[in-house]
Amino acid sequence: MNEKTKTRVGGPEDPGEGLEAVVALRRTLEALEAAQVENAFVAGWSWAKIAEVLGVSKQAVHKKHARRIRARYPGEPPGRKGA
Amino acid sequence: MMFTRFTDRSRRCVEAAFDEARMLGHDSIGDEDLLLGILRTDEGIAAEALSSLGVTLEGAREESEEMLSYALSSIGISLEEVRREAGDAFEMRIPEGRRIPFSPQAKKALVEARRGMRRMRDNYLGTEHILLGILGNADGMAVRMLAGMGISPETLEDRLFELRGRAAG
Repeated sequence: MNEKTKTRVGGPEDPGEGLEAVVALRRTLEALEAAQVENAFVAGWSWAKIAEVLGVSKQAVHKKHARRIRARYPGEPPGRKGA
Repeated sequence: MMFTRFTDRSRRCVEAAFDEARMLGHDSIGDEDLLLGILRTDEGIAAEALSSLGVTLEGAREESEEMLSYALSSIGISLEEVRREAGDAFEMRIPEGRRIPFSPQAKKALVEARRGMRRMRDNYLGTEHILLGILGNADGMAVRMLAGMGISPETLEDRLFELRGRAAG
């Protein structure tokens, strides 16, 4: 394996950089999950359906996201009609 | 107790650091967030030293996001694309109600701040001690963030002591 391939395939060679990428990814993942759950909710999806696709329990999704999203959409959210 | 002898300004700076961390999606308060806290409180010689060298709150926030973006790109992920894909609902902010702990680096900076306070024979822990505590950790995020903005710890320390000397007499 030449140096260039190694860098590209194996990720950062510096372990510190590799670990920092994990932190960055974890933070980004949290934000992405929050955004996509919100998007699904606004599109009219039920908590049950969102939970099913995420592969977790409805309680887990509700506990993690409901308060934040409800606070943002008091009453019914704009796109959520007859869900 | 961790916050004994903290001035009101130092306490506000720590509170502001929590706010900044939450806003930037930091799931722990890092030493870079303490730096943002100092900038946001915008009082005292620590803030004055920073601003006199051209370090602004906005600039520091951008540098922090730049570092996140760089870390993601090292594993082939584009923050811009993630943002575009997720739409307007995407924000790095940590939701209210979720507690954010101090990172080991931030704790270290605060311990170092207290040590600096004693060394300088001060009887209060001001934002200048916090800044010195942050600068003492060469591997910390804050020092690297400042390096990204073209500021070395030595330059900042010199400016800090210069301002301190002027204030004293």
